[in-house]
Order: sequence, then structure tokens, then C-alpha cells
Amino acid sequence: MRSLRTAFALSLFLSLFLVAGCSKEQPLPQQPVVEDDSTPVDGGTVIRRLQADINTLNPLLIASKYDHYVAAYLFTPLLQLDANLLPTTAGSLTDKYEVSPDGKLYTFHLNPKATFSDGTPVRASDAVFSLKKIVDPKSESAEFAGWFEKLDAAGTKAVDDHTLVVAFTEARAPQLVSFNGVRVIPEHVYAKGDFKSAFGMSAVGSGPYRLVRRVPGKEILLERRSDYWGVAPHIQNVLFKIIGDDNTAWNALKRGDIDETIIGSDTWMNESRRPELQKTINFRRFYTLNYNYIGWSEHDALLADKRVRRALAMCVDMQSVIDGLYHGTARAMNGPFTPDQWSYNPEVPVIQFNPEGARQILNSMGWQDTDGDGILDKDHKPFSVEIIIAGGSPTSVAFTQLYQAELKKVGIDLKISPLDGGAFIQRLVSGNFQAAYASWDLDPDPDPNAIYHSSQFPPGGQNFVFYKNPAADALIDQGRHELDHTKRVAIYRQLHALLADDQPYTWTVQVSLKWALTKRIKNAKESKGWGFFFWYPGELDWWIPKSQQGR
Amino acid sequence: MLTYVVRRLLYGVLTFFGITIAIFVLVHSVPGDPLSFYIGSHGMGSLSHAALDEIRHEHHLDLPIVQQYGWWLRGIVTLDFGTSFIDHRPVTELIAEKLPSTFILNFVAFLVAALIGVPIGLWSATRSGRTSERASGVAFFLLYSLPSFWVALLLMDLFSVRFHVLPLFGMTSDNYLDLGLTSKLADRALHLILPVVTLAYAQMAIYARFSKSALTEVIRQDFITTARAKGATSAAVLWHHALRNALIPLITLLGLTLPYLVSGSVIVEEIFQWDGIGRLYFDAISQRDYPTILALSVATAVATLLASLLADILYALADPRIRLEGK
Repeated sequence: MRSLRTAFALSLFLSLFLVAGCSKEQPLPQQPVVEDDSTPVDGGTVIRRLQADINTLNPLLIASKYDHYVAAYLFTPLLQLDANLLPTTAGSLTDKYEVSPDGKLYTFHLNPKATFSDGTPVRASDAVFSLKKIVDPKSESAEFAGWFEKLDAAGTKAVDDHTLVVAFTEARAPQLVSFNGVRVIPEHVYAKGDFKSAFGMSAVGSGPYRLVRRVPGKEILLERRSDYWGVAPHIQNVLFKIIGDDNTAWNALKRGDIDETIIGSDTWMNESRRPELQKTINFRRFYTLNYNYIGWSEHDALLADKRVRRALAMCVDMQSVIDGLYHGTARAMNGPFTPDQWSYNPEVPVIQFNPEGARQILNSMGWQDTDGDGILDKDHKPFSVEIIIAGGSPTSVAFTQLYQAELKKVGIDLKISPLDGGAFIQRLVSGNFQAAYASWDLDPDPDPNAIYHSSQFPPGGQNFVFYKNPAADALIDQGRHELDHTKRVAIYRQLHALLADDQPYTWTVQVSLKWALTKRIKNAKESKGWGFFFWYPGELDWWIPKSQQGR
Repeated sequence: MLTYVVRRLLYGVLTFFGITIAIFVLVHSVPGDPLSFYIGSHGMGSLSHAALDEIRHEHHLDLPIVQQYGWWLRGIVTLDFGTSFIDHRPVTELIAEKLPSTFILNFVAFLVAALIGVPIGLWSATRSGRTSERASGVAFFLLYSLPSFWVALLLMDLFSVRFHVLPLFGMTSDNYLDLGLTSKLADRALHLILPVVTLAYAQMAIYARFSKSALTEVIRQDFITTARAKGATSAAVLWHHALRNALIPLITLLGLTLPYLVSGSVIVEEIFQWDGIGRLYFDAISQRDYPTILALSVATAVATLLASLLADILYALADPRIRLEGK
């Protein structure tokens, strides 16, 4: 009968969904892992994931970390950073360098063996060309140009083919680290055409790999240079696959389509302990130079007094955030620097969760609940703060809601305004907010001039909380110009304590990054703040055992 | 007929300019400009003001909005839609690169949905009220209610992760460039299956429902009863009388669906890593890449205007009454 047939067909169709939900997961179709991780061997292809397509292959116009991932294989900077994120000549174009006593002159002696992927030697004139391109406003390389704003172009020259002199009008301690961003490009290639747009699909660099092809939206393939002049990496090919969706990437990793991907806290919590996955996947967790914070605008009458800011900080239940929101995979901040930074002061205490103490502070300042509505008030004005957050981030929403509940108990009304990405950045960057919940990715050098110095208010700078303390300004200036490292450490430790006391931000937590790698990738080591990548040797030291080089 | 077409074209041109002005104003009114994005996405080192000013100047962001519109208009007259703020590539190049992928995906999905949905819809109109028709109605309704990202993940998990039958994502395999021509076509076809199914299953439901109600409307009319009364066979009634009349609203629907061929589904393109217009549009909007947003809006506006013109012409061809009235 027709109806029976249709019913049968229908139930067959629907049962497909049941099958999908109920069947046990097939074991991963990979060879059993051979535990020979002692002697590195050459060969193989590592398949990396890019969360978004790159914007350019021009290393001086790097605009996103994806550009950076690729550039790290194709180009070599004047100085590398080691596992502690300190400058080193290892793996760089420089054999040795000197800094003049007044700190304004840097002399680099370049490795005479260094060549570009087209065979031409790397000359000091190429380095001068690269520096000049960085500071040229027409290149629109705002970030790199900012690091070299004190470059003295007249004094910067190639003394000979392998000796480079870089001059500055002002001696600054963070200047040395900025040479990590100078990835030297050959003048005879990059002087031709429109610098901004001509080098999106091609690359000629001095790095250990050369570009084989780039298919926009899909992949980028690199192969090891047979004529590489330095310490050759082991892996033969690097294939970057662009996978925007995190679910798809996780599935791809499980299938062996990619070798590494960042994973979210949910995936970490749900999947990392499963034994069948642990056979073929390494789950790694580490902290980077990144933290979350609440910025308090000192243009706001309510928040201008540091006692109020401290009281507000005392209402953050850090432990609940770490345990409940991040399942223990985060750690509390005690001030402006993270524990991985050499400027960190371990003696500054983390502000304890103490709502009663907060209430007392506010009471002593004249905030009482005079009208019995549960909210503190003074001069007929309720204690109400608006906090802006990036509405698309579930953890931001969760955090601020937790905070709102705690503040309510103390008698403070926190209004949460979730904004779309563009609107959020606009208000944040222009300082148009009372409170903002955001995060920073820090540079390897701890100099915090850009965000806490009183000369850096918007629209010119990034001190968007309008923090102004002459004592802090003085320490920041000192730290910037002190060329002796030991003395610098002492200055920043002082600054750490001062800022923690002033609370221009309430630094909340550092959330660890979670990464999954297939077990065939050997020697993936973490640095102190940059994870697996960008430091030397970093990803250039990975290798794949012979038996797993199948691709 | 000719005057009809010409008149419609002229209206189209006027509408087009209205659309561009509206989108231009809207896009520039949304908080956040490309520059604040640039600042927000870079670390905390000091940024060079000279470079930022240069960026502003190059893209005319330092001019009043009317002048910016003027610059843009001047560009599109010569089909120069500017360069993307994000990667400095000409927008026309970006679109030319990604549009074919979206078009193929949407076109195949459209064919699958139409070729399955419309006949089933027409069939169910003839079986109205019976169990089989009710069951298929319920089935389509269920299908339609399933969210596409969930279906996509389910399909990927089933056919790709658990049973390695189909590729997980992308338009082509890793070794695509090494394949022969037929293998290349097969590779592309395999990669199309999951995204097409994800796009088509809901569209199918729409076409089925729509064709069913279109045909049902016609069957109810007096002239059908008359035809039957005059002794015409069921088949003749259906094919000669009912179907042609039911085609009219169907053509309108299909015509209006045409613009969707060039606007991609962000969800499907994102999950399957399909390098198409949907993702381009979404990323451009998130990062306030004005030139790309405007160019894509223009493309969609033009496509919609042309499609509705086409639908009107086909409509006029199918229904003599419209043709004669239009004179």
C-alpha cells in the first residue's frame, strides 16, 4: 500500500539521524605511533592550520598573525628571539652586533653566507632598503613604523656589503627587540611595482623555505630550500590549510587532514581526556603574553578616585572565574605584567575577593543606600557603571554577568552593554566608555608607554583609560631609556607595584591557550609567552619520524 | 512589449542609484571604521601617525561623506571599485576570484532543490488530503525546521569523520593540481555533495510547498471543473490546463531566487571552507572594508534588478494578458 511504503521510506530516512547519533566512533585510521622521538630525521610535510587567509606575503606589511605564521618560514629578521623572548643572533641574518654606549647607534655584522631564495646574496643595502620601506608612510605599515619612529634615516647606511649601521635620534631600551620585525627583503625584487599590493602572491626571502604556491582561500605550500645557508630545518614541506570554522578544524585534526590547531576550552574539556584520542593527539596548554582586564575611565567622575577602583576590584571573585568559567585553565593577574615577563613583580599581592571590605571603602567615601533600593547613592546619584563588552564573546558575557551579580550584593549597579565588534573597538579606542572589558596581546618588550603614559591619550595614543600619574610617567620614561638590563628590571618591578596600587585597569586573568597536535609532530616546544611559533628555533625545529612521513 | 522593457530598465537604473546611496550612507553610519579596526587589531606598541594618516588619505576617509560618495561613483563609472582595505587587492579581482565558487554551489543546490522539490510539490497537489501527501508534507516541514549549521555538522561527522566516504571541507583535494581532467571534475563533484545537500534540503521544502499551493490554487478554479465536465482526461487537465497556469507564480519565485545565486550563504561557506562571496561579504562587513561591501552590494542590487526584470518578461511571455495590458 502506498501509505505504508511512504511511512517506511520516511522512517528509514529519519533513522539515518539516529544512526549518526548512536554509532560508536570509528578508531582513527592512522598508523600506531612509533616511539622513536630521539633522533630527528629529515623529510615529510607538516600541515598547519590558518584560521583566516593571509592578507599579504610582504613581511613588512604583516597585519595579522596568519601573515606572521607564513613569514616566519620565508623570511629572516635581523635578530631572532629565543625561548625566553630575548634577542639572539641564532637563526638570524646577523653574526654579531654592537650597540654604541649612548644607545643611538646599532651596528650589525651580517652573515656573508646568507642568500635569498633566488640565489642572490643578502646585502646590507637590502637591510637599509627594508628599514626605509618600513618608515615610509606610503607603505602604510603603521605598526612597524611605530617601532622605528625614532629612526635617523640619514645615519642609517650600509658601510659595506655585510655591515649595517642603524642610527636613532633617541636611545631607547626596547629598540633592540624591534629588530625582530625587520625581515630583510631583496631590494632588486621589492623596489619594483606597488609595494602594498604587488607581493600578495609571491615572496623572495632569505628564510629556510621558499613559496611553492598560494591558492587564495585554500592553501599555501612551502618547500625547504636546498640552497639554504643556515641551519636547515628537518621538515621538507609546510602546507598551510585555511580552515575558518573551529569545528571543521577539530574534525580535520581527528581525521589527520591537519597536524595542528588551536582548540577552544570546550573541546579541551570534553575531548582531551578521551583515551582513543590521546593515542594520536597531543593536547598542550600554555600561557601567552595575553591577559583580560577591565579598563576604568578616569575621565569619569565616579571612577577617577583610585579608592573606588580598588573597591570595584575587590568585588571580582577571581577563583569562581578561574574554576567556573575556565575550569581551572586560567590564572590570576596581580598587575600590569604577566608571570612570564622579566618585568614581573611576584611580591605584589593579587587583590582578594572582599565585597565587605569594598562596601566599607565606599561607605567611608560617603556612598550609602539612603533610599533603600539596594543601590548605593551619594548626592541623590546612584552608583551605576556601564561596562562595554564585545557582545560576540561568550566568556566576556559570562564574566561580566558574574561580576554584575557580585556588585549587586555590594549595592553597585553594573549595566552591561554588549556591542558588535566594530562598535566596541570604536568606543574602546576613542576612550568613549565608563568601563570596558577587553584583552591585550603584549609585545615581547615590557615597555608599557603606549597604554599607561599620560602623553598617550586618544586619539593619538592607546591610553584609553586616560590614566595620569606623574610618578608612573617618570618610571615609564626611565624604563624606556635605561640601557642596563638589571636596572631596568628594578624600575619595572617598581612600576608594577605602583600600577597595581593605582588600578587604572583591574587585571583579571590570563587564559591559557589550548592546542592540539598530532603525535607525529616531534619537538614542538613552547616559549615563554609566544607558544610554539615565531621564536627561534620554534616551529623550524619540528620533525616527523620516517614511518609517519607518508604524505 | 519593447516600451515595457525600456520603461522597466529606466526604473531599474533609478532604483540602482537609490540603492547605492542608501548602502553608502548605512555602511558609513555603522560605528567603527576600518582604521579603528586596524588600531584595535595591532599590539600595544605605538602606531605611526604618518602611516595611519596615509591610510586615511588613500581611502578618502578624511573627506566629507558626500565627497567620498563622489569619488566612489567616479570609480564605478569606469568599473573601478577600488582596492580592499584588508589586503590591498582590487575588489573586482576578489569578486571575480570568489564569485564562481559561490555561483556553482548555489546553482547546483538550486537545480537539486528545484528538480526534486517542484515535482514533489506538484505531485502532492494532485494527491491532496491523502496520507502519502500528508506524510511528505510533514517530512518537508521537519526538514525545513532543521538549522543548517547543525545539519552540516551532522553530515560532516557522519560521512567524513566516521565513515570516510566524502571529503570534510573545501572545494578541492590537496592533490588537485596533480589530477587529470576527469579526476579533477570528479574531485570537485565529491566536494560539492555535502555543501549542496546542506543548502538544498531547506530550499527543496520551499519549492515543494510553493508548487503545491500554486497548483492547488489553479485546480480549484472554475475552468478546471469546466474542462473536466467537458470530458477532458485527468492527464490533459493537469498538463494542458492546470500546469501552465501554475507556472506563472512558479516563474516569479524562480526568477526572484536568481539573485541568491550570487549571494552566498555565510554559514555553509564558513563550515565547509568554501571560498565564496558569502564569506567575503561577512568578513568585509565585520572589518568595515567599505570598497568590498559597496561592490558586493552593487553586484547584488544589479543581480536583483535584472532578475526581477527577467521574471517580469518571462511572466509577460507566459501570460498573454499581461503582455497586452502592458501596451
